[in-house]
Amino acid sequence: MRMSNFNYLVKRGVGSVFRNAMMSIASFFVLLVSLLLIGVSVLVAMDINVIMTNIEEKNEIDVYVYGDVDQAVLNHIYDALDNNPNRMSVVFYSKEEAWEDKQNEMPEMKELFEYLPENPMPHTYRVTVKDISKISETADEFRTIEGVEKVTAPYDFASALVNIRSTLTVIAGAILVVMVITSVIIIYNAIRSSVFARSKEINIMKVVGATNAFVKIPFFIEGMFIGVAAGAASWFITKITYEALVQLFREDITIWQIFGLSSMVQFDDVTWYFLAANCILGALLGAVGTIISTGKYVKV
Amino acid sequence: MVELKNVDVHYVDGAKGGVDALNDVNIRVNDGEFVFIVGDSGAGKSTLLKLLTREIQPTSGRVFVNGYNLSKLRNRKLPYFRRSLGMIFQDFRLIPTLTVYENVAFVLRVIDKSKKYIRQRVPYVLDLVKLNDKAKAYPGQLSGGEQQRVAIARAFACDPKIIIADEPTGNIDPKLSYEIVELLQDINECGTTVIMVTHNHDLVKYFGGRIINLREGGIAFDGYIEGE
Repeated sequence: MRMSNFNYLVKRGVGSVFRNAMMSIASFFVLLVSLLLIGVSVLVAMDINVIMTNIEEKNEIDVYVYGDVDQAVLNHIYDALDNNPNRMSVVFYSKEEAWEDKQNEMPEMKELFEYLPENPMPHTYRVTVKDISKISETADEFRTIEGVEKVTAPYDFASALVNIRSTLTVIAGAILVVMVITSVIIIYNAIRSSVFARSKEINIMKVVGATNAFVKIPFFIEGMFIGVAAGAASWFITKITYEALVQLFREDITIWQIFGLSSMVQFDDVTWYFLAANCILGALLGAVGTIISTGKYVKV
Repeated sequence: MVELKNVDVHYVDGAKGGVDALNDVNIRVNDGEFVFIVGDSGAGKSTLLKLLTREIQPTSGRVFVNGYNLSKLRNRKLPYFRRSLGMIFQDFRLIPTLTVYENVAFVLRVIDKSKKYIRQRVPYVLDLVKLNDKAKAYPGQLSGGEQQRVAIARAFACDPKIIIADEPTGNIDPKLSYEIVELLQDINECGTTVIMVTHNHDLVKYFGGRIINLREGGIAFDGYIEGE
């Protein structure tokens, strides 16, 4: 196709947005609502992910060492722990520190403690793990290290967290899929009405020998144009609303004070990705919806 | 050239068991001919036109138009075949959002002609139908006769080998009908084959020439009459 004729089709597509203003506005709002719902689902999923990661980071395995080991064994245990692929950090907690802490924790037992012939507390390594779902296997590996007496880990807490995370991931994924499918169906219907209103025009094009591509390009451009506009609007509304919510939580909501504000995704960190994703998704939904909707009318 | 060989068209209709729209029809129209196709409602005129534009396929038999064997024509080749035809309809089928000039230019863009060619060709064909002064008007601002002249200009713009006119005078003033046929005759004199379907027997008697009369899906008459 000649460039001049292609440009003509692009102009016609953009012109159609304004010529069929009512239909364009209807399609724009349908796309906007769909993109807002999808965007909010993604942001909520990202927030849940950040919150879960923060909680998981607080998760630790305590590795207790036999009381009579020498420095070489302690070094060997440290190396073994430090080399484990699932460790995030390893902190040594000496028996003296542990004994002091225990005494401070229970001042009413001070007299009783004085009767003890020696410090009963063991040396301890506190290991935080990267992948909470493997906490059980990691603890088992730690048990096999020479000089290790006992390993404790919050298995129930870990498995509960893993369950919550996988359930939330499935729910967020399902919501996202439903949103995308619903959006495509609604957009398909909105654009189909717009295309139906111009079925006579399409018929004329086909009768005079227009190829399918020639008929579809203006509709494709029109759908993409509306999609990008809806994407940009969706980004703007999400940005304003989300930032207002973060501000609200910063001031009032106790639970966020517990997790810390770092538990929420900061919109500024994702703003350009979000704008690009919104515009691309909007353009794709608009264009694909248009292509599917025109298909039936192109067959003359 | 148009050729129909032993063509049957049978429409499947669940309630009635089916309708025979055309029965063993044989027609040959040579290049440069002007043919009127007449017949009552339901005689098979519309079916015949749909066959010629490959909107439908025959149940049996073969249809050749402009060297294309329409029974074997692949769908992706269909647009290129249709570019060898010029179509004129009773309801004009102009694009209401385009001006007269743009409506004619549109078909040239469809067949991917250059800007330069379009700038030369459109005024030429508009001049032929005497509508150069209405080039900037929209179809809604024109009379029925003028709209049909735009449709003729559009059909002729691509320089087709055949023009197929489906009741082109059906929606216009009877007096203007004669002008429309004269215009088609002018185009025919340039070498373009014209096939015109009409109900208007007065027109046919007035102009004469080759007449094909369809009746109940068959050819009742195919011959020449003298004009008045």
